[in-house]
Formats: sequence, structure tokens, C-alpha cells
Amino acid sequence: MGVTDALDINQSITTNFSKAMKKTTISMMLLGLLCVPQFSHATAKKCFQQSVTGRKTPLNKVFEKLSKQYGVQFFYSVSDLKEVMVDDSQMNYRSLKESLDYLKKNAGLDFNVDRNTVTVRLNPKAGSKIQTLSRTTSADYLSMVNDTVKSREKAIDEVVLVGYGKQSRKNNSGSISSIDEKQMKGIASGNFGDIIAGKATGVQITQANANPGGSPSIRVRGIGTLTAGSNPLIVVDGLPLTEGSNLNAIDPNSIAKIDILKDAASSAIYGSRGANGVIIIETKQGKNGKMNVSFDTYYGMQMRSDNVKLVNAYDMATFLKEARDNNYLSKGSNRSALDDNATRVSKGASLRELIPTYLAPYLAKQPGLTDTDWLNTVMKPAPISQTSLNITGGSSTSKYAFTTSYFNQKGLVIGTDYEKFSTSINLSTDLTDRWKVGITMTPSYATGTINASNNSRSYNPLQMATATYPFFKPYNNDGSLAISQQILGNTATDGALVENPVAVQEMTDRKYTLFKTFGNIFTELELMKGLKYRFSVGGDYTNYEYNFFDPSTVGAYRAAAPDVTFANRTEYIRKNYLIENVVSFDRKWDAHRVDAILGQSFQQEDNSQLLTEATSFPDNSIRNIAGGTAFKNTLTQYKWRLLSYFSRVNYTYDNKYNLMASFRRDGSSRFGKNSKWGDFYAFSAGWTVSNESFFPENNTVTDLKLRYSLGSNGNNQIPNFGALSLMNPDNYAFGNTLAPGYTTATAPNPNISWEKSRSNNFGIDFSLFRNVLNISADYYILNRDGLLLDVPVPQQSGFSTSLQNIGKIKNSGFELQIASKTFSLANNFTYSGSLNFSTNKNEVLALANGQNQIITGENNFSVTKVGGSIGEMYGYNILGIYKTQAEINGSPHITGTMVGDYIMEDLNGDGKINVDDKRSFGSGVPKYIIGFNNNLRYGLFELSFTLYSEIGKKIYNADAVTTLESGEGFGMASQYYFDNRYNAATNPDGFFGMPNMNFSNNRKEARTSNLYFKDADYVRLRSLRLAFNLPQSMLKNIGIENAQIYMVGNNLFTLSKYRGMNIDATSDNVLTQGFDQAYYPVARIYSMGFNLKF
Amino acid sequence: MKKLFITILSLSIITSCSSDLLDVNPEAQKVSSQFYTNSTEIEQGIISVYGSLQYVGQYQLAMPALGELPSDNTYDEVPANDSFTYGELDFFTVQANNSLIASAWKDNYIGIQQANIILTRIGGISDMTDALKASRTGEMKFLRALMYFNLVKIFGDVPLVLKETTNVNDYFGQPRTPAAEVYSAIETDLKEAVSLLPATAAQKGRVTKGAALGILGKVLLTQKKYAESLTYLSQVEPLGYQLLPDAAKIFDVTNENNAEIIFDVQFASGLNGNSEGSTAFQMFSPSGSVSGAKGHNLPTKEVYNLYSTGDTRRSAYIGLTSSGIPFSKKLVKTSNTIADGGSNCVVIRLADVFLMMAECYARQNDAANANIYLNKIKKRAGIAEVNFSAASVLLDEIDRERRLEFVGEGQRWFDLVRTGKAVSVMKNYFANNPGYSTAQIDSHHLLMPVPQGQINTDPAIKQNPGY
Repeated sequence: MGVTDALDINQSITTNFSKAMKKTTISMMLLGLLCVPQFSHATAKKCFQQSVTGRKTPLNKVFEKLSKQYGVQFFYSVSDLKEVMVDDSQMNYRSLKESLDYLKKNAGLDFNVDRNTVTVRLNPKAGSKIQTLSRTTSADYLSMVNDTVKSREKAIDEVVLVGYGKQSRKNNSGSISSIDEKQMKGIASGNFGDIIAGKATGVQITQANANPGGSPSIRVRGIGTLTAGSNPLIVVDGLPLTEGSNLNAIDPNSIAKIDILKDAASSAIYGSRGANGVIIIETKQGKNGKMNVSFDTYYGMQMRSDNVKLVNAYDMATFLKEARDNNYLSKGSNRSALDDNATRVSKGASLRELIPTYLAPYLAKQPGLTDTDWLNTVMKPAPISQTSLNITGGSSTSKYAFTTSYFNQKGLVIGTDYEKFSTSINLSTDLTDRWKVGITMTPSYATGTINASNNSRSYNPLQMATATYPFFKPYNNDGSLAISQQILGNTATDGALVENPVAVQEMTDRKYTLFKTFGNIFTELELMKGLKYRFSVGGDYTNYEYNFFDPSTVGAYRAAAPDVTFANRTEYIRKNYLIENVVSFDRKWDAHRVDAILGQSFQQEDNSQLLTEATSFPDNSIRNIAGGTAFKNTLTQYKWRLLSYFSRVNYTYDNKYNLMASFRRDGSSRFGKNSKWGDFYAFSAGWTVSNESFFPENNTVTDLKLRYSLGSNGNNQIPNFGALSLMNPDNYAFGNTLAPGYTTATAPNPNISWEKSRSNNFGIDFSLFRNVLNISADYYILNRDGLLLDVPVPQQSGFSTSLQNIGKIKNSGFELQIASKTFSLANNFTYSGSLNFSTNKNEVLALANGQNQIITGENNFSVTKVGGSIGEMYGYNILGIYKTQAEINGSPHITGTMVGDYIMEDLNGDGKINVDDKRSFGSGVPKYIIGFNNNLRYGLFELSFTLYSEIGKKIYNADAVTTLESGEGFGMASQYYFDNRYNAATNPDGFFGMPNMNFSNNRKEARTSNLYFKDADYVRLRSLRLAFNLPQSMLKNIGIENAQIYMVGNNLFTLSKYRGMNIDATSDNVLTQGFDQAYYPVARIYSMGFNLKF
Repeated sequence: MKKLFITILSLSIITSCSSDLLDVNPEAQKVSSQFYTNSTEIEQGIISVYGSLQYVGQYQLAMPALGELPSDNTYDEVPANDSFTYGELDFFTVQANNSLIASAWKDNYIGIQQANIILTRIGGISDMTDALKASRTGEMKFLRALMYFNLVKIFGDVPLVLKETTNVNDYFGQPRTPAAEVYSAIETDLKEAVSLLPATAAQKGRVTKGAALGILGKVLLTQKKYAESLTYLSQVEPLGYQLLPDAAKIFDVTNENNAEIIFDVQFASGLNGNSEGSTAFQMFSPSGSVSGAKGHNLPTKEVYNLYSTGDTRRSAYIGLTSSGIPFSKKLVKTSNTIADGGSNCVVIRLADVFLMMAECYARQNDAANANIYLNKIKKRAGIAEVNFSAASVLLDEIDRERRLEFVGEGQRWFDLVRTGKAVSVMKNYFANNPGYSTAQIDSHHLLMPVPQGQINTDPAIKQNPGY
């Protein structure tokens, strides 16, 4: 739609509420933003044009007069009242009461006066009195909760952000989740992703890697792709950001509203980029009126919230002794666990069959020995704080909004700190009655630390902590860092040769800086009534610099210090710009309303990244690449262009029927020569049944609306040059002289194109019990084909994979949102809440020709099969433990199986245990996602909390597989493993394999089994916020409009059987979802803050 | 004002309407459709075929490990490390998903395909002399043959592809080619290479006629074509190769590409951001002896003790750590960077040619000549020369000599397989070494399993029996 009049937009921004929150009380914050007079020049003008005679005056003029005269503020829905005319010559302006009474009678209005605020609504019973007034339903109004100090009724149309414009929700028939500013409170985080989790149906937010400064991943309606990107498109104030942009660049404090376009019909206006959903963000805008200043600050502490427990030093010694003894005994005859190391060596023992000498005092249970808890050493309580200032205001012609924030988060994991400064500026001005210009800018500057997030025993402190023994200390007695003590101590017996993680974190440099600014400059001209032209130029600029330095004075995995010094530096500059031309049309006559847009856009992105690796450092004195004497530079570069034409038409009749059709044509440089252009269409229809005359007047079901939409769109998150056969350097060294060579690295595919999706969405909205409950439900079927797959090909071709558009996936799901309005529980005690429930099921319908499964991931745990869902976890079903050799001999087993190993189920009964006996144990994708938001208010106190739950997902825990529960005797054992390990003497009923460093084929194969596919259902109290509003009487004299003190707790509890660092753990690769390997844990946060409004 | 807008509108629409806008090529990467057009580019393509020799699945790790770890010459000190990848080779419990096996299959075919591309394109290059084209063609044929030879030794039957790939999907449904056919293609390539290659190359490390003769000799010997093998092997020494008098000098990193070396894979440390070195010294050094050492392929005590007194090779080829663990001196630490070892990996040297000749002579019951060539090696080692007359005795002695001479060079296992002794020798070895009480070997272990990933990709590829 795009062209609502200016006032409508302004008003809606200040007060728009999602359906869910519409029923909640209005927060003080929003109230503070609302003030009268707030009529824009342009609208006033328009209304005059509409008036037929001089005697009729638009209602807003009347309110303006009254507000000046009596110092009151009016709240009302602009769109509903703007065409109401009154003959004010008949009005008596002598008293407010008389004036209002007159309007009550003659304009069909109802008023509610509370101190200086007048809330206006249409009296539905009197609606027929006003000819120009179209019928509205009571759903558009909020009933009053008049027993609280701050609650206000608000008769404002809810507006949703759609591509290239806005629309009244009642006229929209797509599936759009909305989240407003008020719902974004209660989470201490630097990005909006964390904040919106659990607030919208069909949207999954996972903090797989909660590294400060990292972005959570957002999935809209499941996953519809296998190898292309699965990030939704993020559009901020009309500018589509680079795919996979760091969400931290958008300051949550500057956001006024977030709308998530979920169905294809809504997102099809973004064509080849819409298939993963579109998140539209609108930043705070200025308003006509006095300057509003709001200040917010909080300070909190982050604590461990995981439930991983490792054994102590004494149990660890027992465990290591068992593992090494069993290894020794299993590899030869005439051996005894009592043999000392010299005897063992003489009997042919290898290093891992010997007992480290330092274990002796532990095995003898001498008290008071070193017993370091390494997890509590690498994870320390750490502060988090944020301060932000927001200023908005404007005159009748110019408006401004300014937000500036400072965010500082120390890492829960030592050495991972993050700091961010961000600003957002919005300015707009009416140059003439018909010509408006504006600018939006969002610069931010962040510094953070890269923390190795995956498999790294050299750099990931969490993974190092699971392979660092409690017998060693982080610091020497003199307070200096202990260097390489475990490596040296373990060399003789080849234990875990891991460097002290504290030393690695403290002695290496891993710092990055990120400067990003994005924004828009636009100009909008009203060509004639209802017809506007808008031209905008947007840009998104990112500058990144990362310096890594590892001195020789600290060791690495299997390498004691002094080792080699090295450094590298990554720099990139990414430039993205957008030119957009949009003509929009919006007319209303009688019961018809038509709005339409026609537009064209061009977007280009350039990225070039330079990686410089430096070696041959003479010493450690210069802590960056400048200290090296040998360098290797790698330049990676890409560029893409997207040229688009788009159009959309909306038609509404009598607030009963609405139809929408859209079309977009995209040309992309990413696609192959034979497939540069694609067409995307959408259609949707809505029927507000309750507005029909036949719909019975009742108090049970009201505002019943049916929605249907159908649309197609694409996913263009494919490699920039995937259509081409690229060459990589592949050099050789003839006689120690470098000879440059190039090898053909990828197979070409000139037909490569976007992934296509087509979705059907059925929706129903209704209210129950006099609008106490608002219910919205959607069912969708999303079919995707032309899935881009890195198809494995026979390697005799010279290639391992080939990128092809092949494969089909079906996603279907159901979404339900139940939101209650604010209702009174007792005197001065109110409640409002919302419950979100989403399901998603995906099914792989086809892969490449002749390909019926993709097997991938660590230990090949993930299988994506035709007929199954994406990334199912496949493995053996473990039936128990072999306790005797006879049991092994008498059952099908893998070669090399030993006593104390696992009994595996011979699934196909062929007498052999092999890959054919693996079966699915579920996947990392939750079957159900539930969010439950609650707001309670008692007098001056407010309490809100959000519960979030994921049901029906599994996690494949690689830490358990390789160390904690492997029983191998290399890394640390978890208490859980230790307590449940099989030991013929001490624990004959143990269900975990016997400790044994002779890591048999059986153990290796058992790495993919039900033992390690962990149930990861959970319920988490994501946020709990208790606030106290200072009484108005205290504030009035000191010029403060509102003051609130609050306490927030995040992740205070998590109910789950899962034992791991991070229950959100998942890999970026959709095929290996639910893979957990020492991912950065989510913290439990306790914080306090206050909020002031002037 | 309206005019201004219309101007901007039309300008921006016009400027953005051209479809050429959508043709964007990479600026920091070459595109193969625009490559291989002149001699410089063809030479760069040829270098990448040599470059593939450095891959993990070729001579960086796979050939030294697959060629020796299963044998009685080397063992894995820390078998469970690296997901048991190397331990499986040591204990004959290899699984079809072993990552080193997968690399060997893949990396050889990458090199073969690059060679196929060059062989297809080189004819059309105009700025290259015919002489140069001929020798480069010889190099490519040699390398392709060498890679197929390695594949066929490891896996037996393997799919044979001798053309440039134009459509990757063409290969679905192609079964493994019988080993005999692969051998015949290898012989054809090598014979052509012999005729095309020069005796000496301008650059150290390039393929020469001697290399083609030597490998052809080995290919024929492997197929038990002793007489034919001899005709090629005997042409090698006259090209100017010599045994170095001091065995310790053969693998001295300051003396690489010396007169005894016929063909070796070049590694260099400290070059191009440490990208031309090998991780082999780290993987195959005793745990704790150098940074990142993993002890995956260490000489056994048995082989260390096998050298007779006075044999200069023991100290030249094998060192002992302070705790008495033997390690190969043929791969040495030349850099502090774990992944940047500079020792070349020898593919064939004159000593190998002499011992193969001795074997061929012995097989043909020419004891005199067999003793001559065997004694060349013994003499250089500083041990007593022999004069055996019975072929079987000679063959056993040659076998023993090969074991001692080529320890750490990835030869022993293939020698055992070639001579048919693998199963009996290893059974004996397991019996004598207490750490192997659980190890078992039978004839199916003579070939490695085909990577499971390839069978998953295309069921037309069948697994070797026994796996």
C-alpha cells in the first residue's frame, strides 16, 4: 500500500501496537511520546480539501482548538476520524464538558476524560449518524482499564509494515507477526534477535553461539533450504541489509516496530530474496510536538547457566587409571593392572597404556591436592550494561528522532569482551505542502573479541577446559600464568596435551573492530491527490578489522611453549547501495479503497577482504603482522547486483473484503547466464465475516476474519559466482622455488538460479468474550523446489560436489497466537498476556538425480533422506554393555569389539553390525515452539515474564562424544559418565562403556548412537522483569514525566534433561542442526536499571 | 520541481536497465572458462598437477602412511588420536569411512582430472614450442599414470577416466574399471612419457625420462612382467643417477634433489606463507618430540633392531628419542610451524631401481646379476656383500634389504602385497608383538575399502569384498 497519509503514519508510529499487545495497557513510555497537538500540516490541508462547505470543520481542527483552550490532550484513531466533519459554528467552546457533549450527540463519539487526557472513540451504536463514516467494529477499540493510573484507551488502527509501505492490519490478509517497542523490554542484550525470541509465532531465535557481539540466528517458518542461506531478509527503514548482517548493528533502543512477513504473499514483494521471510524494522520517528527525552540505563551480572559438571581430581585419577589399565590389559596377554610402568614398557605397552606418575597421590586419596575446576576458571561472572538516550520531537513541518546508546558486555568466558556505540538519526521535513524530504542514518562502532567457536583444542577455552586435567593449575604460586605444564606433564604418557586455557585467553590477541553505517535519503512528492512519487538512495557500509596474535610464549595443542609466533589480520570493506523509485497511489471512494505501488530498484554490493598472515617473527615485541618477516596475502572479493521491478495492488470493499496482488521481476548477477531473470507473484484475500450484516451481534465471537494467501518467491542466498567454474591457486615448489599454479576448483553450472518457493497460507482471526481474547491462527504449506544442493558427484570427475538447483522440500506448520487484553484481576491489579504456539514439519521430497540421501556432519551423524526431514540424526541403538567375551562372540558385533563396549542392535537382522543398522533418532529442529508472555500490574508495580519452550528436538553433543562421556581417558569425564560407567566390580549396571583408552571400532561407531543424541526439550524463563513506577506526585515538580526503576532476570531457570553448555547449540549448516560442540553458553543475567522520561 | 523528479526517475531507470549490469565476474579469482588459453596459463595448470602431489591424500600423508603403516615396518604410537584414522591401518580394522582413505581416492582423482584438462587443451596452445608441448605432455602422462598406479595399489579396481570432465553428472553409473585395464592404461601413459620426456629437466623436481622408466619398471614388476621391467629399469642409471656414498646425505634437507633421487615430491618450508610445507613430520614424529607430534607412523623397534652391526643406514635413517623411541630421519623438522615441514617425499630413487633390478634378475634365476645389484646397496650401507645362488634365498634377502633401505618411504606394505607375503608376515608380526594380540589379518586386507562416501554417492561403485 505505501501511501497512508502523513498523519496516519506519524500517529501510528507513536502508538501502533501489535495485535497481541493491543490489549495490554499502554506503557508510560508510549504515553510520554503522545501529545497534542500532533496534526501534521499536510493532513490538515487534505481534510480541508475534502470539506464541502466552509461550515464543516474537520474533527482534528476542533480538537486542536479545544486542546489549546483547555490544555488537554486528545487520543484518537486518525484514519477512522479524519473524515468526520462537524459544524463547529454550533459548538459551544465555553466549557470542555459542553463541547464534548455536543460532539457526543452530533458526531457519534464517546469520550473518556482522565485528568488532562481525553480519549476519543467512535460510539459504535451511533456510527450510522455519520454518513462518511464507514462501519468499524469494536475490535478497533480498546476497552478502558480505568482503575490504573497510567492505562489509557487507545483507538488507533494497528498498522503493519509491509514491503514498501504500511497497511492497516484489518485490511491485510497475509501472515505477519508484529512486535513493538514495548515488547522489547526485559532482555539484557545488544541485539534485537535475542529480545524478540518467544514473542512471535513461526519465528525461531537461537543463540547457538552467545559470544558477546555475536548474532543469534533467526528462522522463519522452519528451514526450506539445504545449502543456500537460511537467514531472513532484514529491511531497516526501507533498506534491505546485506544477507547475514550482524544484528548488533541495529540498536534495539532505536527500534519502534518490527514486523515479520512470514507467508509468501507478504514477502513476495521482495521477490528472489523473500523465501526465508522478511523482517521489517522501523526506527523511531519524530513527532509533531514538544521534545520528548527518554533515558534508560541498566547494569547486570552474567553467570553460568549451563549444567555441565566435570569430575573432581580424585575421580579423574580413578577414571584415567581405569582407562589406561583397561587399554593395557586389552592389548596383550600376561599383563596385570598391578604392573608398573617399567614392566608395562617391557611387555610392549604404548604410551597410553602407562599411568602418569602424578596420579599416585590422587589415587592414594591424599587430601588437599590441586583440584582445579576448569569450567569455573574459564567462565567467570561478568558485567553487562547499557545506557541509551532517545530524543524525539518536531514541528508541524519537520520531525526528528535521535537515539544513542552505549553497550558494554564483558564475556562470561574470560577474554571475550564486547563494546558498542550506536546512534540512529531520523530527520524529515516538508519542504512544501507536497514535497517532503528525509534522512535516516544508523552508524555504529563496535569492538569485540573473536572466540574460536568450534573444534579447537588450541583456542576454544571451553573445549580446552574439557581436556585440561584438574591436577594442573592456571597460575603458579607466584601469581604468574602457568605455561604448558599439562603438556609437559602429559608428554610421557600422551595424555591430553592442551595448553592452559587461561594463558591462551590472556596472552593471545583476538580483537576486532567493526564500523557500520547504513541509512536512506529520500524525497517524496505528491503529484496529485492520492498519487505520490518517492525516490530514495540508501547505503550500507561496513568496515571490519581483525587482528590476531599468538606469541611463542604460550603453547598450543600438542605444542609446548616456546612455539612459533604468528599473527594475521583480516580487513574488509563492504559497500552496499540501493536506488529506489516508487510511485504510489491511494484513493478511497464510497466503500472502495484502492492503494497501489509501482516501483523499480537497483542494489549493488561490493566486498573485498584481505587476509594477511605473517610468520617468521624474530621476537614477540610487536603484537601484530608488522612484527613478522614473511607474509601471505589472500584477497577475496565479490560483487552482486540486483535489478528489480515490482508492483502491488490492494483493494478493500466496505471493510469486508480485501484483495491483494503483487508482482516482482528480479534480475540478479548471481544467477547463471541462462537464468538471469525471475518472476514472483502473490495473491491474497481477506474476508471480515463479522462485518457482514448476517453476522449475529453477539458478545462471544467478534471480529471474525478469514485470510488466504498464495505466493511464490525465491532464495537468492547462493554463492556469488556459483555459476562459474572458479580457479584456486595451487602452487608447487620446484627445488624450494615457488612456482605459481592454478587449479580448476569448481564445476560450472550456467543454469544456476534461485531456489523457488510457493506457499499457501490459511488464516483466521477472531476475538472472544467481548474482545478479552484475540486469537489468530495460521496454517501453511510451503513447497520449495529448485533447491540448491552441493550435489556429491562421483569423484573420478575430478570434483567432489557440484552446485545444482535440484531437490524439493515441503514445510508445513500451524501457528496460534492467543492474546488477552488487559483485564482487571482485582482493584488496581491487571493482567495481560499472550501465548504463541508454532509447529513446523519439513519433508524432503527429492534430492539430486540418483541421490537419495545426504550424509554429513561429525562422524556422519546427519542424514537427509528423501521422505524424511532435514538433518535427521542417524546412529546405532545401544542395547547394553558387553560383559563377557562370550556375549561378544554370541552376537553380531563390529570387528574389534571388546568387553566393556556397547551392544548394538542388529536392526536389519543380517547378523552383521554396519551402517545399515543405523536409524533415525530425531533431529535438531524442534517440533513445537511455545512462547508465553505475561504482564501484571499492581498499582505502581509492573511484573512481566516470558517463558520460552522448544519441544521435540535433539542435540548431538560432540563434547560428550569426544570427551565427557566417551570413556576414552583422554579428556575430562563428566560426573554423569563417571557415575554411570560400567565397571564389573564397582558398577556392574553402568550403562556407559567401560573406560578404555584402546578406543575400539565399537566405541568409534557408537559415537553416532542414541547415547549421544540427547533429548533437548526445554522450558526456559527467558525474562522476568519487575518495575516500580515512581508516583506522579513525586515527579511533577522536578520536571520528570515518568520514572521507573526495574530489575530484570534472564534465563533464571531452564527445565531440561539436556546436559550441555548451551541448549540452543546448533551449527550454521542446516544439514547439521542440533550439533553442539563447545558453543559459547548463554548466561543467566541479573540486572537493574532505571528509565526516565522528560 | 516535478521536472526534477521526472529527470531523476528516468535517469535512474535508464542507467539501471541495462542487462550487462548483471554480468559480474570475480575480480580476485580466475574463471576456468577464460583460462588455459596461452602457454603461461597452461604452465600454471601444469604446476597445479604437481601441486596435487602435495595433497594429504597423495604424498603429504596418505602414501607414506598407506604404504607402510599396515606393515611390520611402522606402527601408530597413539592409535586413538585423530579418530583412529591411522590406528585402523595399523590394526587392520579399517572402516570404509576412514578419512585418509577418502582423501586418497579424492586427491588422486583431482590430480588426474587436472592432468586430463592439460592433455586435452595443450594441443591448441599457439605460443608454445612443439618440443615444450611434448615434454609437458610427457610430464602429465607420467603424473596421471603415477596417480592411477597409486590408486590401483590401494583400492584394486578403480574407475578409469582419461578425458576432461565436461559434465560431472556423466559419471553417475560408471562402475570401477578392472585393475588390469587400469594397469594397461598406466603402461600406455608411461611408455609415451618415456618417449616424450627429456633426460634432465631445467627445474629440480620436474618429471624426467628416468622417472618414467623407473615407475614403468615398477608397474611391470608389480604385474610380474620381469623381463620387460628390466628393459626399462636398466636404462635408468645410464641417465646419470648415482648412489650417494653416504646414506645420511640422501635425505639431508640441504641436499635435496641429489644424484640418487629420480623423482620426489617437493615440499619447502617458509615459502608463500608456509603453504608449501608438509605436516608429515608432525604426524609421524613421536609424541612430544616436536610441536604437535602425533606419532602416527613410527619405525618399529623390530625394524630398528634388524640392521646388522656396522650398517650405516640405521643411524642415517632412524633416530631415537631420549626415551628410546625410534623415529624416521627421512622426514625432519625444518620449521617451527607444525604444518610446514620441508622434507621432500621420495617417490623413486636409484637404490629402488637397483633392488627392483635385483628382484627381476632373481625372478628370472639370474643370480649373478641379482647379486650384483643387491650388493650395490649393501656396499653403500657398509655391510658384507653376499653371493647367493638360490632365487628364493635371494628374493628373501632382497625383500629384507628393501625393508631396511626404504623404511619410512611408504614402500614396505606394497612390497609385501606385491610379493604375496603380506598375510604370513603380518601374522608372524602380531604373534611376536604383544600389543597386537587383538589384531587379525586376512586376504581382503590387501586392498583398502572404497570410501563409503563414494558408494553413498553412486551405488554403481561397489565395495571391495570383506568390508
